[in-house]
This record gives sequence, C-alpha cells and structure tokens, in this order.
Amino acid sequence: MFNIFFKKEMLTALRRPMIYIFMFIVALLVFGAVVSDNVVIGGVVGDVKKNAPTVVAIYVSILSIFGLLFATAFFNNAALRDHRNNFHEILFSTPLSKSGYFFGRFMGAWLLAAMVLLGIYLAFIIGAALGPAFNWIGPERVGPTPWLAFTNTFLLFALPNMFFAGSIIFLLATKFKSTVISFVGTLLIILGYIISLNLTSDIDNQPLAAMVDIFGIQAYSIDIQYYTPAERNTIAPSFSGYLLKNRLLWMGIGLIILFISYFTFSFSAKASKRKKKVNKPKEETTNFSAPLLSSLNGTISSWDTFRSFFRMSFLSISKSTTFIILMFFSILLLISNLWGGFEYFGLKSYPVTYKMIDEVNDISSLFVMIILVFFSGELIWRDRDNHIHEVVDSTPHQSIIALIAKTSSLVLLASLLHLLLIGIAVLYQAFNGYTTFELGVYFTDFITDGLPSYLIWGSFFVFLQVLINQKYLAYFISILTLIILDIIFLVFKIETNMLSIGSTPSTTYSDMNGFGPGFTGHLWFTTYWAFFGILTLLLAALFWPRGMNKKIKDRFAISRKALGKSYYGTLGFFSLTWIALAAFVYYNTQVLNAYDTSYEQELQQVDYEKKYKQYEDSPTLSITDAIYYIDIYPEERAADGKIDLWLTNKTTSIIDSLHFTITEDYKHQLDIPNSNLVYEDKALNYYIYKTQVPILPGDSLQMSCTVSYKAKGFENEVSNMSIVNNGTFFNNFEILPTFGYSSSFELGDKNKRRKYDLPERKRMPDLQKECSQLCMNNYLSSGTSDWVNVETYISTSEDQIAIAPGSLLDESVENGRRQYRYKVDHPSQNFYSFISADYEVARRQWNGIDLEVYYHAEHEVNVEGMLNAIQRSLEYFTTHFGPYYHKQARIIEFPRYSSFAQAFPGTMPYSESLGFIVDLEGEGKNNVVDAVIAHEMAHQYWAHQVIGAEMKGSTMLSESFAEYSSLMVMKQETDEIQMKDFLKYDLQRYLRGRSRETEQEQALMHVENQGHIHYGKGSVILYALQDYIGEDKVNQALRNFLEEYRYQPPPYPTAHDFMRHLQPQIPDSLQYLITDWFEEITLYDLRLEEATMTEQGSQYEVKLEIIAKKLKSTPEGASTEVPIKDWVDIGFYRDADEKELITRQRVYLNKEQIELSFLLDERPQKAAIDPLRLLIDRVYDDNVKPVKQE
Amino acid sequence: MALLKITELNKTYPNGTRALVDVTLELSKGMFGLLGPNGAGKSSLMRTLATLQEADSGTAFLDDIDMLNDPQAVRKALGYLPQEFGVYPRITATQLLDHVATLKGINNRRERNELVNYLLQKVNLYEQRNKSVKGFSGGMKQRVGIAQALIGNPRLIIVDEPTAGLDPGERNRFHNLLAEVGEEVIVILSTHIVDDVRELCTNMAIMNLGRIVYQGKPSDALASLDGKVWRKTIERSDKSAYQAKYNVISDKMVAGKPQIHILSESDPGDGFTSVAPNLEDVFFTTIHSEVA
Repeated sequence: MFNIFFKKEMLTALRRPMIYIFMFIVALLVFGAVVSDNVVIGGVVGDVKKNAPTVVAIYVSILSIFGLLFATAFFNNAALRDHRNNFHEILFSTPLSKSGYFFGRFMGAWLLAAMVLLGIYLAFIIGAALGPAFNWIGPERVGPTPWLAFTNTFLLFALPNMFFAGSIIFLLATKFKSTVISFVGTLLIILGYIISLNLTSDIDNQPLAAMVDIFGIQAYSIDIQYYTPAERNTIAPSFSGYLLKNRLLWMGIGLIILFISYFTFSFSAKASKRKKKVNKPKEETTNFSAPLLSSLNGTISSWDTFRSFFRMSFLSISKSTTFIILMFFSILLLISNLWGGFEYFGLKSYPVTYKMIDEVNDISSLFVMIILVFFSGELIWRDRDNHIHEVVDSTPHQSIIALIAKTSSLVLLASLLHLLLIGIAVLYQAFNGYTTFELGVYFTDFITDGLPSYLIWGSFFVFLQVLINQKYLAYFISILTLIILDIIFLVFKIETNMLSIGSTPSTTYSDMNGFGPGFTGHLWFTTYWAFFGILTLLLAALFWPRGMNKKIKDRFAISRKALGKSYYGTLGFFSLTWIALAAFVYYNTQVLNAYDTSYEQELQQVDYEKKYKQYEDSPTLSITDAIYYIDIYPEERAADGKIDLWLTNKTTSIIDSLHFTITEDYKHQLDIPNSNLVYEDKALNYYIYKTQVPILPGDSLQMSCTVSYKAKGFENEVSNMSIVNNGTFFNNFEILPTFGYSSSFELGDKNKRRKYDLPERKRMPDLQKECSQLCMNNYLSSGTSDWVNVETYISTSEDQIAIAPGSLLDESVENGRRQYRYKVDHPSQNFYSFISADYEVARRQWNGIDLEVYYHAEHEVNVEGMLNAIQRSLEYFTTHFGPYYHKQARIIEFPRYSSFAQAFPGTMPYSESLGFIVDLEGEGKNNVVDAVIAHEMAHQYWAHQVIGAEMKGSTMLSESFAEYSSLMVMKQETDEIQMKDFLKYDLQRYLRGRSRETEQEQALMHVENQGHIHYGKGSVILYALQDYIGEDKVNQALRNFLEEYRYQPPPYPTAHDFMRHLQPQIPDSLQYLITDWFEEITLYDLRLEEATMTEQGSQYEVKLEIIAKKLKSTPEGASTEVPIKDWVDIGFYRDADEKELITRQRVYLNKEQIELSFLLDERPQKAAIDPLRLLIDRVYDDNVKPVKQE
Repeated sequence: MALLKITELNKTYPNGTRALVDVTLELSKGMFGLLGPNGAGKSSLMRTLATLQEADSGTAFLDDIDMLNDPQAVRKALGYLPQEFGVYPRITATQLLDHVATLKGINNRRERNELVNYLLQKVNLYEQRNKSVKGFSGGMKQRVGIAQALIGNPRLIIVDEPTAGLDPGERNRFHNLLAEVGEEVIVILSTHIVDDVRELCTNMAIMNLGRIVYQGKPSDALASLDGKVWRKTIERSDKSAYQAKYNVISDKMVAGKPQIHILSESDPGDGFTSVAPNLEDVFFTTIHSEVA
C-alpha cells in the first residue's frame, strides 16, 4: 500500500513540469554564483574555492530556505489532492491502509522536495567545468568536485530541512485543507528562522543560536566560523559538532509533529460545523416599496464606484487570515529586532529615531513586499475566484476605477502596517525612557520612501497580474522582477536608478544633517517612479480581462469600448508628465552630473596602473610648509580652497618634472611658477609639469593649488558626502592632488587583477631588517611630506563653527561669514581635517591643555564622559609615554555617513553613530566611549609623534599600540574579568577576519594594513604581553621606542626597531613569545578535560587533566601542530558565573597531555585553563569545567 | 416597446468550437425561453449579450443600442444572473447588493438603501440581510442573484440556468419572481430544463450546436407534434431493438423500467399508446433531427 501511494506521488510529479522548473531555478541561481563574482550567496570571498565543500554547504543550507516554497507545493498537493478533486469521499470509503496512504504520500512529497535541491549539485558540477573553460573564472578558483560534501549536505541539510518543514506543512494541510494556510505555515517557519538569527548578534548566545535555528545554517556557521580558507577548501560538513546536535533536534521535532498529524489524521470527511440555531424574536418588518431611483439616469459616479470597490477590497484584505498573520509576525519580528538589535561591544545605543526607522524599514520592506505581491493577485482574481465577475463585469462601472480602487486599498493597507510598525517603534522609545519623539522624521521618511514605493510596486504587480492573466505565473514574474532585475543590471553593469524599478539615490538620515544631500534626488526619482507606477496601472486598464475574454486582442477590444475620453486624457497627461520627469532626471543624473560606473572606474584603475606604474619610484618633492585657505558654503553644499605649499627636494636626485594625480570630486587648478604643463591625461587625471630650472637636492619651490566643489542639481548617487548642509568634514588628502603615481588607486581584488592581466599586487613592501630607501617614506604620507608646519584660514556661514587642527589664533565675523585662523603648535603629520557644522561646545582645562567636545545639540548625554575619557587618556599617556605636544584635544562629531573616528593633530572627528548615542548607564558594562576616545588620543602619540616606514608591520606601530594604550586606560577603571569580556570582541574580530582573509594572513610584525590583525590580534597580543611581562615593561619599551623616533626626520622606524626596544624588557624564559606572537602565526588549542576536587582538611586539592596543543599556521591558513613549551595560566572561579577568580597561577606546560594538581584554601566552583583568555584559542568553551567533588 | 434584435451572430473559440453560428433572433417584452442541451451555445449567447464576450461577427441591438459596440450603454440597461453566481466571502447580503447598486450607478445613498431593502424583501431575504452570503443555501444565493439582477430598472434581464440545483419549493418561488418582472421588460431565460420554459415563457427558441433550431411559441411547438407522440414501457433488453425500429425521441426510467417516447405520424401499434406531446418531446425532436 505504501509503495503504491509513494510511487504514485513520485510519478505524478515527475511527469509534470513543476519539479523541473523548480530545479532549474535553483540550478540557475547557483550556476550564476559559481561562474561569476557578481552573484554571491552567503558571502564567500577570497581564497575560498568556488566549489569548496563549505561553499556547497552554505549554498545548500541557504537555498533550502527558498526550497521551502517549492516544498510547500509538494506537501500541500500530497495532502490535498484527493480533496481538491472531491475524490476523498470515494477514496476514503475503500479499505485503504491509513499508514500506507499517509506515509506514502508524505515520503513521496519529502523526496520530491529534496530532489529540487539536486539542481544545486548539478550547477556546481556544470559551473566548475564551464566557468574556467569559458574564462569566466580562473582555473585556480575551482577545486576538485567535493563529492563528500554533496552527499553530506544532502543528508544534513536537504533531507532534514524538507522533513521538518514538510511535517508542519503536511499537518496544516491535512487539518485545514487550505493552500493559504499551508503557505502561511511555511512563512512562519522562515520567520522562526529569522528570529533565531537575531539571537546570534552577541557571541555569548552562540550555543543557543546554534540549536534554535531550524535550518542548521547558524549551527554550521558557528562550527566553521574560525575556519581558515585552507580548511574551508578541504573540510566537508560532517556528522558532528553543533550541526549534528541541531539536526537531531529538529529531525526529532519533525518526527513528533509527523506522528501527531498521523494519529489525528482521519479518513472520514471533515464534519461541517453546525451552527446553533438561535431563536431570535422576529423583527417587525416594514414593507419597502421600490424607490424611484432619481439618481439612476445620470452619469455613473466614479467616486461612488471607487469607494465601493475600495471598501470591498479593503475588507477582503484586512479580514483575511494571511494578512492578519503577516501583520502579527511583522510586529513580532520588529519587537524581537528592537530588543535584540544594535549592539556594539555588548552595549546598546540609545533608540534614536534613525535606528528605529532603519529597523521599521527593514521589516516593512520584507513584509509589505510579500503583502503587495500576494494581495495584488488576490484582489485582481477575487471576482473570478468567487465567480462573481460576470455580475460585476456586466455593470456599467469603469474598469480603471475598479483597478485604482483595488490598488489604493492595497497601498493603504500596506501603509497602515507600516504606520503600525512606526507606532511600535515609538512605544519602544517611550518604554526605554527615550523621549525625543521625532514624529515628523518618521512621517517624512514614510511619505517620501515607504508610501511611494508601495504605490509603485503595488501598481506594477497589479499591472503584471492583469497583463499576464495567470495568477501563479504572475506571482512568479513579480518575485522574479524583485530579485532578478537587479542581478541583470549588475551583470550588464547598469547602475542608473532610472531603470531599476523604484530605485532612488540612497539617503541616510542623520540627526545632524537630516535626510542629507541625497534627498532632493530621492524625491525626484520617487516622483518619476510614482508616475511610472500610475502609468502601469492606467495601462493595465487597457488589458483588463473584463468578461470572459482570454485572447489579448479581445481583452483589448472590450476594454477599449468601455474607456471614455477622459481615460485617454489621463493616460496622455501621465505619459507626458512621466516623459518630462524622465528627461529632467536624465539631464540631472546623466548630463549635469555624469558619472562613471564602477565598471568604468575599474577600467580606469587598470589603465592608470598600466600607463603610469612606471613613475612609481620617480623622486618627488616633499611638503615642508602649508597654508590652507578654505571657504565652506554649507547651505549651497560648496567649498572653495586655495593651498599654498612649500616643497623641498629631500632626495639625492635632481628633479625636473612634477607628476600629479588629481581626484575627480573637486575641480583643481595648479599654479606652479616657472614650469610648463607638458603632459595632460584628462581621462585618468594624470598631469606632468616640467620645471624650467631643474630642482637640485635641497632646493625648494613654492606652488599653489586651488580647488572647488559645488553641488549641481541632483545625482544618481551622491558622489560627495563630505560637503553637506550641517556636518561638512573632509581631509587634506581629498582636496590636494597626489604627488606622483599613487598605488592606492590600483585595483586591489586579486581575481580582478588576473582578469585584466595585471601582475600580483603587494599590499605593502616586505618588512626589511636593514632599512633601505623605503624607510625614507612613512606609510601615511608616502614620501610627500615629513613633519610639516601648517596654518589654516577657514570660513563658514555665520551659524556654524569651522574647525581645523591647531590652536585658534583669530576668530571674526564679516559679511555674514565666520572666519577662523588655526595654527598647529608643533610640526606634525600633513594629515588635516576641515569641519563645519552647527555645534554646541563643551570645554575643560587640564594642565594647560584645552579639552573640547564639539557636538550636536541633541547628543549631549555622553559629552561629560568624553571629556573624562580625554583627561584620563592624557593622564596615562603623559605619565607613561611622554609629553603631549598640542595645546588642545578636540572631539568633533560628524554625520553618520561614515562610522569611524580618526585622529588628526590634536583633533579627532568622531562619527555621530559611534559614541554619542551609546547607552552607558548599565553598571559594569564595557565603556566603548572610553575605548574609542582613548584609542584616538593614543594616536596623538602612535602615528602623530612616531610613525612607521612605508612597509609591512608599520600599522602595528600605530594601530596596535593605540589599541594597547586604550586598553591600559580602560584597565585603570575596571577589573581583569571585565577586560576579558571586552577583549573577546577583539579576539573574535581577529578570528573572523582571518577566516575571510582574501590574500594572505600576516604575522603581527608583518601586518599589511589588515584591520583584523592590527586592531584585533594586536589588542589581544599586547594585552597578553603586559600580563606576561608586566605593564611597566611594555610601557618602558614603548617609551624608549618613542624617545628614539619622536618627531624625527627620516629614516622612519620599522617593526624591527620596536622589537629592538622590546626584547631587553622580556625575561629569558619568555623570549619565545617574540617568535610565537610577533613573528609567526600561533594558535593554541587548550582543553580542560576534567577537574576533580578532594577536601584535605580545610584545604581543597584540585586535580586537572589538561590537553594543550600549540599550532603554527601558514599565511594560507594551513596549520600544523608543534610541541608545546609554554607558560599558561590556570585559574579557579569562586562562582559558577565565572565572575571572580580565587587564584590564577602560571604554569609551564611541556607536553600535550598533562595532569596538574593544586591546593586551594577556598572551594572553587569552576576551573579554567587560560581563564583570562590571553592566548589565541579558537574554541574557548572547552577551557572551563565545573569542579567535580570526588 | 423594448425590442432585442440579434442578426447573424457568430463566435468561434480558439480551439475551433463554433459556439454561435448565424444566430438570428428577435424578441420583445416578456419571458423568452432559450432551451438547449449543455454545450449548445446558450451561455455563449448570453455572455455576448451581457457584454462579457466579443462576437466574431453579427449585430445585436437593444432598441437603438448597438450592443456589440457600446457595451457601457447595454450595461446600464442590463440585469444579469450568470450561470455561475458566486459571492464574496465575509460580505453580507446588504453589502453585496449595495456594491452592485453602486456599480450600476445608483449614486444616491438613501435610494440605494431603500432599493436594497426593497429587493431583499422581495426575494424574501430581508431577515438574513446582515448575514454572510457565503453561508447561504443554493436557493438563497440564487435569490440574491435575482435581486442583484433587478437592480437599476433593467430593460433586459438575462438569467442563465437559474434553477439548476434548486429544490422544487425554491424553484417555484424563483419562477414567481421572474414572472412578475417579466411583464414589463425582456427576460431571457436560458435553461436546459424544459419545464422552466413551459411554465414561464410565452416565446422560446431551441439551440443546439451553436444554432437556433427552433423559434416560436411553446404552444405552437406542441401543436406541431399533436398526435405524433407515442409511449410504451419496455424491457431494458429490448431497448436497442426499439431504437432500430422506431424514431425514439427519448427514454426514461419509470418505476424501474424504460419508458420510451417515439415519433410516428400514424399509430405504430405494438402496444404503444398515444400521449399529448410535451415540451420535452419538442426539445428532443428538434435536437435529434438536428443531429440526424
């Protein structure tokens, strides 16, 4: 019996096209991702092969989510087929075996659903063969066919996911016998997954997140999160780890659900509900007589028709279960995101309006799109599905009115949902005691973004439904346009927002600068698309299948007869207006503000490198003095500047030609006395001037450069986010021409470089022991300057404050312009910021230094804390490192278009999204504001007093040292457990970063500007170092290093120069740390197997079984074990929460397996190896064990 | 006086089916029965007249309205109850009728309310006016259907297979309603149930395979068969023998045995008794002669 139903289920489906269509879609997606870098699923980059086992696993797991939609169809069909055909009453009265019928159907559908995913493997095989053959990807991007990964992912992802989802869908289908409810069930499963995703936002929740994820995706990503590219390329997912536990859990739950539905499944037809008869007293009936209908013979009121259709549609959607469930879940999801979201180092930020808007828009863009797609079909097909279309269509209403009414009700319901979500966000703010309610901002965002996009897509989906005239095909095309259209544009390198439906220049709301410079363009594009939407709706009326006509010709004919002149008038008006809008938008974005697509830019980068790389080593002049004259016009988004530069030939060669590369964002004019422009490449912005008199070594030259920028009209995407109405912030590198060839313009991605036949590129020159010419340049200014005297004359509008580095010498107001003159107190790096905004200023004096915070009026909450942080930083640094050479230390807030903080001499711009809105009120939390401020303050030493040569390892001397300094400032105020809690984020940053390494991992000493190494690993290593050798020893090394190089002319120091100072500070027993931590990539695998305790009188003897391994990794990430001969901490916790250590002892481990015993005065709850997590160990969970009493 | 004139109407479906073949009809005020077996083209004709389907050729005029080219004018004068009359879920009878009344152009809210109440009372659904129509029985739904068809003082009312699936009581009520409105306007009643036509219509036509095969008064049709119809109850096993020997119009089971009607100018003997022809005989006679 089982076989009969199973076979029938399979054969029926295999004879139909559906399964092949699904398989094809899946295969197409994967094929695209395999043979192109433009299509990415799950974000895999760099050295990971296109068909690596982990990639296969990620694709299979992610696509099994999409596969659910297909699975729903199979399971639903299997459960409902006999019902649909009204065959069930016949079938169920035959002597069937229940189990054979039930499981036969279920297994058939299960296998079919999983079979769809076979398309993935097919695509991997074909893609891996065709990709290199057609030169779409390089042969080195493809590994051997991962057969094991194929079978394992099918067993670990495809089958279990389909099983679990199938059990739910099957249950729903057999119980409710409604396709809609089955699909809603699918949606719920996907939502459950999304909610579980939120749990991983903090690493503390990882074990939980690994289990609650229905699809096993999180479990698998956690298992492989610290895999190196080499490991990703070779290790197939296996039946182990979180993944196995997760799979067993969900298969088990699925099995339970399946049996529940089996035991509650009954062959007898669902008894129809009997309603209780209520005996109502008969009401008095008046006799109505036929009214005269005076209104009948006039024209048909469009307004009444509209209202009636609108009301019917509105009721139909708002009362539908699907809508109610979608609404309910979007609310749930928003709440879950709000409560779990936007953390940073374990801290939450205040619920400022823009964060709320981002959250609301994330949710609404997903749910409203689902609603628009689904209900556009429902509304268009509603009359036909309910068999009332013949009545409705034969009334003299105008089809266009019906269409407009239906679309309006759809848009209104979408909007109501959006507004509801906003309401919840506002409640959340109130609930958190955040009372700056900016309802206007919510509203403006909704009116200019949400509402129009619902109108555009709603109309467009209605248009598709009408034109295609087949509900499910139209659904399919609707979803395809949402997804595929953008991929097509990407493939064809089209970037204009004019073609991608609903696209507009992006806007970012900032408390400082409102909706920002993209807003005008956004409004124009929105209007353009809104007219497009209305136009599609009007066109839909022409093809509206009124009556019974199927042929498009007949539909057209019958519609046309019923459309009056006013229709054509309206159509004409909207067409013409839309064309006019298109022309205007085109003029602004393609003519007035022509731009290069990223593909064109890529070609320019290639050309630039090919043509001018030859000049890379040509000697250049070096800036010694500079005066900047900057005028900022915030309300016009314009800036003019003139820069006077004094240059000296510090090389030993004679220089007679000056090379410049100019950035395109600003208009430049160079004025170089006694020289001629001899070469001009306008396309690549490369210019060569020849001096009439050659410049001998030591000779000088004065030149000047004028720059200007002025925003015109609006752009496809705002190209210059630096000059804005409130919060202008740019640096001197943006406005100065580059001297000579700049390797920073080169194409970085190594796969793209290969595609263009460019040689492999080094991110930085190798670290040299005996320093050559390379040490004459530092990595920041690349030889164009050393220590420079700078003065700035800067002006802005009267209501703003303009700031440049240095002491303020003059301030005046003239003709409505506020003018300032700043001068840096000590020759400094030629790294300058120019800022203008409407600021509040908080000031404090400390030892003759002005501490200042320039902030947006609403963001005052952390300002006092920032001043404290500056002061504490200065206290620590001046005590341990040396004097501070500026008379001021400023923190200046800038809009959140970037989210970094940066150190210029004595001046530190700090993004509004970073520290100004972080909620620091929680007791005992990591103080991120302190951390970031201390980091930037430390840069006043590390980068601004001493800076490394232009080679590998130099960013350790600035970024890692700044991290270390900031950790030391933090450490003053907190304890070591708290520090561990903070450092785990640094460790995670390093481990995650190295697993996504695109080129080669470098040892700390050889770091080539890799953030995860110089920040992440640097923090961990230097913090551990001060714990191992002592804070004062590390500080002494730093101080000695600083004293040797502070503000010294070239040669600049390298990482070796620091090691020279560090080495004497390290005791002989720990000298190995230099090799392990700085010179090589070392990982530890420490495990506490067991901890047992016996009471010895008043003391406790604890025995530990330890496994300790040390691993060395190659730059590619392949690791090999080496013998361990290391000092490692053993610690005992007083409490089970691991908050307090009784003791921590450093022991010497010299073999892999070791047993240790300790005598303690106090009863420990837990024991740990490396309790402070000083060593780089990828899995920390196994380092701690509860102590068992024997 | 209202006059509907259909000339040479043709319609062929994309699959080659000829739904309407040179259909020519002329009818005036009163009930007009359109009789035909399933698939005869009745619904195609009804839908074409109800502006729901394009014809390939031919003309149709309702008084001076060019029905095929001015659908909006037709719709203003039309009441239509289609063969498949469904209703929206979660909508009450009042809401539904109000919606249709609005679409038919009754702009005055007070008049609309009055009309809806009047019609609901007329179709005996006033007490159920605020219940969901979806839960109504087949007969109640049909009554809602006829109520909506009466909205807006139509000059032409088309009802397509209205009594299929109704019990005899509901069917009678329905007929009474139709008869009442049929006095003033043109009512086209399309059906395959012969009794509907006999009970209600003063004029009729029989359609088969897209053609009008008979048009006239039911009484004339009956008169033409007077004395030619004979009946006999036979054994089932003899059926084919009789079919070969006589012009069998119809056979149906009576008390468990086949009873056949044959057409014969003279007394066939053989145990046949003469019966008064009924419309069913007319119907089958015309259809069979068409097939032959």
